Amino acid sequence: MDLTPILPEISLVGLAILVIILDLFIRRKETLLFVSVAGLIVPALLTTTLIGRTGSYLFDTVILDPYATFFKFVFLVAAALVLLASADYVDRFRLYDGEYYALILLSAAGMMLMASTRELISIYIALELATIPLAVLAGLQKDARAGEAALKYLLLAGLSSAFLLYGMAILFGLTGTTDLVGIGRGLPEAAGINRGALAMALVLLVAGLGFKISAVPFQFWAPDVYEGAPTPVTAYLSVASKMAGFALVLRFFTTAFATAAIDWPLIFAVLSVLSMTLGNIVAFVQTNIKRLLAYSSIAAAGYIMIGLASGTDLGASGLIFFLLSYAFTNLGAFIAVIAISEQIGSDDIADYAGLARRAPLLAFALTFCLVSLLGIPPTAGFAAKFYLFAGAVQQGLLWLAVIGVINSAISAYYYIKVVRAMYLLEPKTPAPVKISAPVALALFASAAGVLLVFIFAWPIIGLTEAASRSLFVR
Amino acid sequence: MVAELAWLFILLPLLSFLLCVFVTRPYPRLSGYVTIAAVGATFLLALVAFWSVGNLPPDRTLESSVQWVVIGGSVLKVGLIIDSLTAVMLLVVTLISFLIQIYSQGYMAGDPGYSRYYAFMSLFTASMLGLVLANNLVLVFIFWELVGLCSYLLIGFWYQRPAAAAAAKKAFLVTRLGDLGFLSALLVAFNTTGNLDIRHLIDLAETKQLAGATLTAVGLGLFSGAVGKSAQFPLHVWLPDAMEGPTPVSALIHAATMVAAGVYLVGRTLPLFLAAPDVLLVIAVIGGLTAFMAATMGLVMTDIKRVLAYSTISQLGYMMMGLGVGGLVAGIFHLLNHAFFKALLFLAAGSIIHSVGTQDLREMGGLRRFMPVTFLTMLAGAFSLAGLPPFSGFWSKDEILLEALRFGGVGQALYILGLLTAFLTAFYTFRMVFLAFGGHYRGPAVTGDHGHDHGHGAPHESPPVMTVPLIVLAVPSVLSGFLTFGGFFGPFGEFLISRLSWHPHYEPGLDLTTMVLSAAVSILGILGAYAVYGAGWVSPEVFSSTFRSVHTLLVNRYYMDHLYNWIARRIVLGIAGLLDWVDRYGVDGVVNAIAELAVMAAGSLRLLQRGWVQFYALMVTLGIILLVAVFGFFGDIIAFLRG
Amino acid sequence: MAITLNHYLVLSAALFTIGLYGALAKRNAVTILMCLELMFNAANIAFVALTRAVAPQVLTGQVFALFVITVAAAEVAVGLAIVLAVYRQRRTIDATEIDLLKW
Repeated sequence: MDLTPILPEISLVGLAILVIILDLFIRRKETLLFVSVAGLIVPALLTTTLIGRTGSYLFDTVILDPYATFFKFVFLVAAALVLLASADYVDRFRLYDGEYYALILLSAAGMMLMASTRELISIYIALELATIPLAVLAGLQKDARAGEAALKYLLLAGLSSAFLLYGMAILFGLTGTTDLVGIGRGLPEAAGINRGALAMALVLLVAGLGFKISAVPFQFWAPDVYEGAPTPVTAYLSVASKMAGFALVLRFFTTAFATAAIDWPLIFAVLSVLSMTLGNIVAFVQTNIKRLLAYSSIAAAGYIMIGLASGTDLGASGLIFFLLSYAFTNLGAFIAVIAISEQIGSDDIADYAGLARRAPLLAFALTFCLVSLLGIPPTAGFAAKFYLFAGAVQQGLLWLAVIGVINSAISAYYYIKVVRAMYLLEPKTPAPVKISAPVALALFASAAGVLLVFIFAWPIIGLTEAASRSLFVR
Repeated sequence: MVAELAWLFILLPLLSFLLCVFVTRPYPRLSGYVTIAAVGATFLLALVAFWSVGNLPPDRTLESSVQWVVIGGSVLKVGLIIDSLTAVMLLVVTLISFLIQIYSQGYMAGDPGYSRYYAFMSLFTASMLGLVLANNLVLVFIFWELVGLCSYLLIGFWYQRPAAAAAAKKAFLVTRLGDLGFLSALLVAFNTTGNLDIRHLIDLAETKQLAGATLTAVGLGLFSGAVGKSAQFPLHVWLPDAMEGPTPVSALIHAATMVAAGVYLVGRTLPLFLAAPDVLLVIAVIGGLTAFMAATMGLVMTDIKRVLAYSTISQLGYMMMGLGVGGLVAGIFHLLNHAFFKALLFLAAGSIIHSVGTQDLREMGGLRRFMPVTFLTMLAGAFSLAGLPPFSGFWSKDEILLEALRFGGVGQALYILGLLTAFLTAFYTFRMVFLAFGGHYRGPAVTGDHGHDHGHGAPHESPPVMTVPLIVLAVPSVLSGFLTFGGFFGPFGEFLISRLSWHPHYEPGLDLTTMVLSAAVSILGILGAYAVYGAGWVSPEVFSSTFRSVHTLLVNRYYMDHLYNWIARRIVLGIAGLLDWVDRYGVDGVVNAIAELAVMAAGSLRLLQRGWVQFYALMVTLGIILLVAVFGFFGDIIAFLRG
Repeated sequence: MAITLNHYLVLSAALFTIGLYGALAKRNAVTILMCLELMFNAANIAFVALTRAVAPQVLTGQVFALFVITVAAAEVAVGLAIVLAVYRQRRTIDATEIDLLKW
C-alpha cells in the first residue's frame, strides 16, 4: 500500500500530536508556536515531492492532481499565517495554547484531504476532520460569546452533516457506488429512472456543503460564529475552511454531476445572487468589524459561486484564482483586526476612529486589504473579480456578471466606512498602537500576497487553469 | 487578452462614478482623487492599447465581443474594437480628461457640488470612451446618448442659475434633433442588413450590397447625428450657450469628448459615405460653411468663452470638411491637434476667469503682467489655433486644405473658403489675445459671476494645480503637428490607416503653395488684429459703424437663435418642463432613494439573524424545501424555459 | 409480510424527519444533539439497506455506516463538552436563551 500521497496529511497529524506532547513539558508558548510553524515545512516539503504526480491511490479514495496539490499548498500557507497571527492572542486561552496549535494543524489536515479525495466516505471523514476541531477552537476562549459561537457552529455543522449524509445515501442508492467518478457514470441512467430522487440528493448535497462555504440560505451561523469566536479562529474559518469547502464543492459537482441531466449550475447561480445581495446589503448596517467581515465573506461566497454557475473549466479556473486572492486578502484583513483588537480591546468600528494616526502602517494594511475585497486595482481582489466576471460574460452569464458588478459597487459603501473611520475621524486617544513581530510578519506576508497575486496574475492564472483542467479530464 | 482589457476603459471611470455617487459623496476631495485615479489609470491603459495596436501586424485589430440579445433569429453581438483610430482617440480623450480633472480641483475648489461634479465627469469620460471603443452602431448610439445626458448634467451643473439650466436644456434638445436622424439611420440599416456591426456595414458598402437610396438615407441619418453633436450648421446653436457650465466642462466638451464624437463617428463610418458621394458632398459643404460662418461670428464676441466656442464650431467645420473631401487622416489629425490646443485655450481662459472674475474681454487687459504662465501657454494655443507655422494647427489645417484641393470641383471653392476662414481665425484669436493680455488692466476688482463667492482683488496667477495642466497641454499644442512626419509607429497618417478594417485613401505629401498661402493669411490675420486691438492704429468702431448691418447680423449670430427660439417656444416648452422636473428631483432623488432603500432592506434582512440557533436551522430547512420545490418540481419547466 | 427495501427507506425517512423535528423544536441543547444523532442514524439505515439492494456484492454502505457512527461519536463528545462549557458560563442550556450574538 503506497502511503506517499497522504504523507503530507500524516505528517501534519504527527506534528499536531508532537505539539500536544511538547505542551506537557514546555511552558514557553513561543517555543510551541515556533515548532508548529516551522514544523509545517515538513508537510510542505512532502507536498513538493507530489508535484507532477497524478493518479488514484489507496483504493481510489485519494487522488493526486494539480488541483489537489495546489490546494494542499494553499492550506499550509493559510495555517502558517493564522498560527503566526495568533502569537499574542493565545494568551487568552490560558493553559490551552498547545491544544490550540494542534487543533489548527489537525483541521488543516482535514482540509488538505478535502481537496484530494473523490470518494464519499473519505469526503465525509475529511470534512468532519476539518470541522470538529473548528468547533472546539471557536469555544476555546472562556467567555460566554465564544461558548455560544462554538455551540451554534457545532449544532449547525451537525445538522448540515446530516443533510449531507442523507444526500450521499440517496446518491449511493441511485448508483451503487461511493466513487465520484462511478457516480458520474451511473447518474445519467439513474436520472432517467428517478428524477425526483436525483433532485433531492442534489439539493441535500448543496445544503450540506453550502454550510461550509456559507452560501445563503445556509449562512446563518457565519455572522454569529465569526463575531463570537477568537479572531484568529474567525480568520481561519473565513479563509481556510471556506476554501476547503469550495475545493470540495467544485470537485464534487464537476465530477459526480458532470453528465447528469440536471441543471446543477443553476442552483449555484441562484445561491450566488442570493449570497452576494444579502451579504452586501446586511453589511450596510453592521457596527462590529468581525460581523462586517462575516457579511462580506458571505458576499464573497456569492462571487465565488459565479465560477460554479457556468459549470465549465474556465469558470472553475476563475473560482480557484478568486479563492487564492480571497485567502490573502481576508487573512490580511483579519490579521490587521487581530492586531488592532489586541491593543485597543475592541472590534467596534467606531473605536477605529483615527487609527491612521495611531498606527499608520496597520491602518494602511487594513485599507489595502479592504480595497482588495472591494476589487480595485492594484490588488489581487481586482484581478480575481475581473477574471471571474470576464469568464462569466464569456460563457453567456452576462446577467450574473452584471449583478456581481453592481454588488461590488454597493459593497464600497461599507468598506469605505471603515476606511473613513480610520483616516478621517479624530482618535479618542493619541496612544500609538503597537504590533508584535510574528503578527507583523503574518500581516506583511498577507499584504504582500495581495499585491503579488495582482502583479503575477497571469502566471498564476496559468496554474489555476492547469488545476481546473485537471478536474475536467475524464 | 489585451482586447478584453478594452472593457476596463469603460469600467474604471464607471466605477469611479459609482464610488462618487454612493460612497465618497460626503467627502468631496476624495471624489476628486477617485476620479483622477480612475481616469489616470485609463490613460495608462490607453498607452498600453496604443502600444499593442502599434505592434500588431498591419490590417489587424483587437476586438472583444459578447453575445447580447437575440432579435428574431439574428444575434446582436456587441463588442469593443481597438484599431489605430480608436487607439489615437483613446489617447486624446484620456489624456485631456485626466489633465482637466486635475485642473478642476483648483477651479471647483469649495463648490458645494464638488462630488457631484466629479461623478458626472467620470460618467462623461466613461461614456465617451465607450463611444470610441464600440464596434457596433447600437452600442455607439447608447454611449452617444449617455454622452449627451452627461453634457446636459454638466452644462446645467449650476442649475440654480437660469442661464445654465436653459443652456443645458438647449444643448440636450438641439442635439436630440440630430439624434433623431441617427436613430432612423440605425433602423434603416438594421432593417436592410439585419446587423449593425460597423465592420459588417462597411463591408456591405464596399461590396455595393448596401447602396443607392438606402445607403444615402443611412449616411444622411448618421451625419445628422454628427451635425447635432459636433455643432455643425444649422444645429450649432447649442455650443456657445454651453459655456454656462463650469469652464473645465467646456474644455472637456470642446476638446476631447462631446463635439469630437460627431467627427469621430463620421471618421469611423467614412467608407459608408465614400460609397455615397452625394452625402459626402453634403458633409464637405456643411463643414466648409460652418467653418466660415462660425469664424465670422467669432469676430464680434466680447465674452472670452464665446470667442472660443465659435472657434470650436469653426474648427469642427474644418474637420468635417476634411472628412467630406475624403481625407480621413486630415480630419482626424486636426481633431487630435485641436483637442490639445483647444483644451489648453479653455483651461487658460478658465484660469483668467478664475483670476479676474469676469468673462468679458472688455474688462480684462494687461493680464500678461499678472499671469505670465497663463499668458505664455495661451499664446502657444492661440498660435496653434491661428495656424501659424510651425505650431500644430498649421499642419493639420494644411492637410485639410490640400485634401480639398485634390478633391477638385467643389473642393476648390472650399479651398478658398478655408483660406478665408484661416484669416478670420487668426484675426479673432489674436483679437482675444490682445484684448485680454495687451494694454492696461481695465476691469474693476469685482466679484465674479461664475459661482464663486470669494471676492477678487487684483488679478493674480492661478495655483499650480491649474497652471501645471496648462504647461503640460502647451507641449503637444506646439509640437503635435510634427507627428505628421513621424511618431512612435511612423508618421501619423501612415499609422492611422495601417490598422483599420478598411483601407482609406491617403496620399502623404505637402504642397508648398498651400503652405505659403496659409502661413501668409495666418500672419496677415495676426497683424490685422495687432493693428486694430494691439497697437490701436485703427479703431474697431470704424468697422462696426462702416459695416453696421453686417455687424448687427454677426452680433445676433445670423438670427439663428431667434428663429429657433420662435419655433421651439411652441413645441419645446412641454418637454422642457419635464426636464426641469427631472433636474430638480430626478437625479438626486434617485441616488438618495437607492441608498435609503439599501439601508432599509438591511434593517429588515438583519432581523433574520435572530440569534437563535434553531431559528437558523429552521431557515436552512426551509431553504432546502424551497430548493427541492424549485428544482424537483419546476426543474423541467426551467429546463424548458432555458431552451 | 416480507420486509422490502421500501420499508427500510420509509423507516429511515421517518427517523430523519423525527430527528429534524426534534432538532428544530426541542429547546434543550443536549436533546438537540440527540436528535442530530437520530438523523445520522437515519442515514446509516439508508446506507445499509441500500447496500443490500443495489450493491450486495460489496460492503460499502456498512463501512460507511461504521465511519458515520465513529465520527458522530466524536461530534457528540465535542458537542457535550461545549454544552457543558456554555452551562458553566450562562447557567442555562436552553437554546432559545443563548442569543448574545445576533444581527
